[in-house]
Amino acid sequence: MIAFEYVEPESLEEVLALLEQHGEDAKVLAGGTGLINLMKQRLVQPAYLIGLRQLARSPELAEIRPNGGLTIGALCSHRTIETSALIQHRLPLLATTFRHVASVRIRTAATLGGSLAHADPNQDPPPALLVLDARIRIQSRHGAREIELGDFFVDYYETALEPEELITTVVIPPQPADTGTAFLKFLPQTHDDYATIAVAALVSLDGDTIAQARIALGAAAATPLRARAVETALQGQAPTPQVIHAAAALVAEEVDPLADFRGSVEYKRDMAVVFTQRAIEQAVTHARGASGNV
Amino acid sequence: MASLASVGQPAGHVEGPSKVTGQARYTADIRLPGLLYGKCLRSPFPHARIVSIDTSQAKALAGVHAVITGAELPDRRIGRFFLDKPVLARDVVRFVGEKVVAVAAESMDIAEEALTRIAVEYEALPAVFDPVEAMQEDAPRVHADTSTYTHPPVPDFVHPGDDRLYPDIPNVVSQVFYTHGDIEAGFAQAAREFTHTFTIPPVHQGYIEPHASVVQIEPDGKVNLWISNKTPFVARAQFAAALGVAEDRVCVNTAPIGGDFGGKGSLMDGVVCYHLAAAAGRPVKMVMSYTEELLAGNPRHPAVITLRTGVDANGRIVARKARLVFSCGAYSAFTPLHTVHGSVHAAGPYRMPNVEIEVFRVYTNTVPAGHMRAPGAPQIVFGVESHMDLIAQELGLDPLEFRLRNTLIEGDAAPLGEKWKKIRCKETLEAAAKEAKWGAEKTANRGRGIGMYDREPGAFGPSSATLSIAADATLTLMTGAADTGTGSYTILQQVVAEELQVPLESVRVVQGSTDSAPWEVGAGGSRLTHMAGQATLAAVQRLKEGLTAFAARHMETPSEQVAYRAGEFVNTNGQHLALPTLMAALAGREELPLRYTGEYVAEDPMDVTSFCAQIAEVEVDPATGQVTLQKLTTAHDVGTVLNPLTHQGQVEGGAIQGVGHALTEHLIVQDGAVTNVHLGDYKLPTSMDIPELKTVLVESDAGPAPYAGKAIGEHSNVAVPAAVANAVFDAVGVRLMDLPVTAEKVYTALREKTARSRTMRRGNS
Repeated sequence: MIAFEYVEPESLEEVLALLEQHGEDAKVLAGGTGLINLMKQRLVQPAYLIGLRQLARSPELAEIRPNGGLTIGALCSHRTIETSALIQHRLPLLATTFRHVASVRIRTAATLGGSLAHADPNQDPPPALLVLDARIRIQSRHGAREIELGDFFVDYYETALEPEELITTVVIPPQPADTGTAFLKFLPQTHDDYATIAVAALVSLDGDTIAQARIALGAAAATPLRARAVETALQGQAPTPQVIHAAAALVAEEVDPLADFRGSVEYKRDMAVVFTQRAIEQAVTHARGASGNV
Repeated sequence: MASLASVGQPAGHVEGPSKVTGQARYTADIRLPGLLYGKCLRSPFPHARIVSIDTSQAKALAGVHAVITGAELPDRRIGRFFLDKPVLARDVVRFVGEKVVAVAAESMDIAEEALTRIAVEYEALPAVFDPVEAMQEDAPRVHADTSTYTHPPVPDFVHPGDDRLYPDIPNVVSQVFYTHGDIEAGFAQAAREFTHTFTIPPVHQGYIEPHASVVQIEPDGKVNLWISNKTPFVARAQFAAALGVAEDRVCVNTAPIGGDFGGKGSLMDGVVCYHLAAAAGRPVKMVMSYTEELLAGNPRHPAVITLRTGVDANGRIVARKARLVFSCGAYSAFTPLHTVHGSVHAAGPYRMPNVEIEVFRVYTNTVPAGHMRAPGAPQIVFGVESHMDLIAQELGLDPLEFRLRNTLIEGDAAPLGEKWKKIRCKETLEAAAKEAKWGAEKTANRGRGIGMYDREPGAFGPSSATLSIAADATLTLMTGAADTGTGSYTILQQVVAEELQVPLESVRVVQGSTDSAPWEVGAGGSRLTHMAGQATLAAVQRLKEGLTAFAARHMETPSEQVAYRAGEFVNTNGQHLALPTLMAALAGREELPLRYTGEYVAEDPMDVTSFCAQIAEVEVDPATGQVTLQKLTTAHDVGTVLNPLTHQGQVEGGAIQGVGHALTEHLIVQDGAVTNVHLGDYKLPTSMDIPELKTVLVESDAGPAPYAGKAIGEHSNVAVPAAVANAVFDAVGVRLMDLPVTAEKVYTALREKTARSRTMRRGNS
């Protein structure tokens, strides 16, 4: 029987107390787009389900605030991030990326914190957040900690989150000057699909050379990943077609895709190269025309 | 037909508002006092012997009211034509997803929990998944003994073929031949011959409403059934036979159908739902999950299509030999009759004097196949139209030119020798080519491809309808046919309004249960506008005659001097009698409402056909293999269009279903099991995936439906996959012999092509 106790605490403190008390027997419910499916399939059967609906007006958990860079509350829906004027102005990469997620119905329900905790490696936001050097703020009754998003994803559907912890905020630091970005989601089947491969790129230029490059991929391994070898190959180079081509080719060694209905291992590896190259090219073009936006 | 008032109007679906406002109550919405929920435990093996089943833990669970296994049921197989399917597996399971144990419980949740407490021990048996392998002498036999399976004679409305049922070939259910001319003599005339083989995977119909059944047994044993079924009277006959009771002991009640596309013509869970209700002594509802639909619904037959064609020195086809192998899965129970109807299209709409088509339907240890929009035709036409392009390429001819040399024209005999009226094949192809700008300049990696199809309007047995008029003169047409979402009720409403010259809104159309409506085959085979339309016309005619007699008596005028005109009767003296006045006068004197039933039976096979020519324009990304459909042109020769809105809905809906079949949809079967078992992995096209669609209607006046209409429901989905594959070849020079046309397949083929040309260059140097 799918029996569980559902509670809807009024405050963050109560949520953290319940998590402390029930540990692995409890699950937190935000938008429910991931968890409910897992529960229906009986893959996850929590004894306690802690609904966060009462926290929807909490400034910390539900708002997007400028803070040098930006902080985004974990309870912000994908749709909120996609349509936020502040995000569109300051981090258009995020607005673009979130617009690619699933359908508008899912985006309206699914939350940022919920999707990160779900840790499906095929999701769209993680590569974009990774190239922005996002950090995530995690809280428990014993205090708060902040970790690099790259350290948060541990394995397929596994994160560094402890059972008594809750994601409260995603922190995006200020980005370098003269920066261009791109997010490419390869959808060879239908438009409402998960990516066959997804690539986010951030390139900042110092005159004619690449001062900094950050490349991240989704649907490319058991976790979203940063393509460090590609980044290193681009650093300090002029963004010529040859340089970009040679750097993108290195991604083949960095990805470790899983074969599924969206493609074989070989195909996804080849597509990782194609879309890494295209994403870098786009980011460079955007950096050249940069108005300072990311 | 400028004089028509209601017919020809773009009237919206009569049942549309109830559906879009959520008021429509589908089978899954039915609530009855004491209702239980049924679920089935399904086989995880493609072929295995059932060693033991322990249901004691499930029976002990609180809230469980019935647990039944196949051994507890009467040993009676069910089906439509081949009665070969047990209600629950007995001794042996033959596909992954076959129902083994059924449970009825207070809630769906308890029923699902009960399934987890059932222990079944299996002993795996050798299995066969490919229909061609299944025909080999050493193949495992899906059914050890078919000699006890019954099958009634082939109905006379089926296209005649030389039928051999259960011939002496391993796993073959039926072997059917269609021949015309002298095939050997034909090939002897050929300057060149071409042989190609194509494979087509199974696809699901993709309706929104999964199959649902509700059974309630009355104290006297009469059975009330609600079921997602488009042919209630046929379902009643099959269901009564499955129970071993007379048909009048069963009433199939009505509920809207949430999409059909051919898939809602089987009993699915109906019979097991009955046995659960009988065992529990309470009504039971069963609703399939979409996972169950994809795993164990009734998908389109997978097929292996081999075509051999002889062409003379002028590029004219002189002979065609087709060998069509369809896998019907583990059971043939709910597949189309003796074979897959579309087989007759293996020659295409082309002039060819010598034809031999051999069709096999073969058992395999996979999900049993069923009907889907133009059964058999999309598989065959993918082969036929790809084959046409392959031949044109070898002959150095433009694909359009090669087709124009061979298309049927007025006066030609069809490939199987039939004489068709008004052949507008060439005109339809030319209209499509003009709209699609065939031959116009293209940018790099763009291509265009053609697909063609022809189809006769459906008849398939009798139709009937009852038109009644109440004391307040309101008109109600009762039909026993379900409107599966095609707009058939709207068409029937238009026919009544047209004939009686009254506003559309004054005519109500209702579906009657099998106890209240006159007998009717139901939806299927693109037949309702034609057959139910003609039956409705007949009912209106009878009503007019009946009322005219009453009016004549009321007006004290001989009948022949009274005419009906737009809601009133007028006699030759210029006296008027409004319909409401007449009905008010009849109240108390006659039993109201007055009912008039019209019936219609058409002769088969139909000598009318409709041609369809489609041209896809694609762009291929050579770095990824991604195919983007840029434009799809679909041309149809049509009769009178009774409702331009619903007609266009059928054209576009079909074309989009064809796009799915071409590019994304397929049930992925591994070791016999469907593995993409939810709609996140089984990719139906979305609105965002649809290209520019252009429809061209070529007028014809030879339709058998009321007002010289033809059929449109199963036309536009069929040739799209071939058109897309041909366009991909035109764009980048790679030929796919199997569906769907995925990016990875195109990418792989492009790499192989590049490797080949490198090798050749090296070889030349």
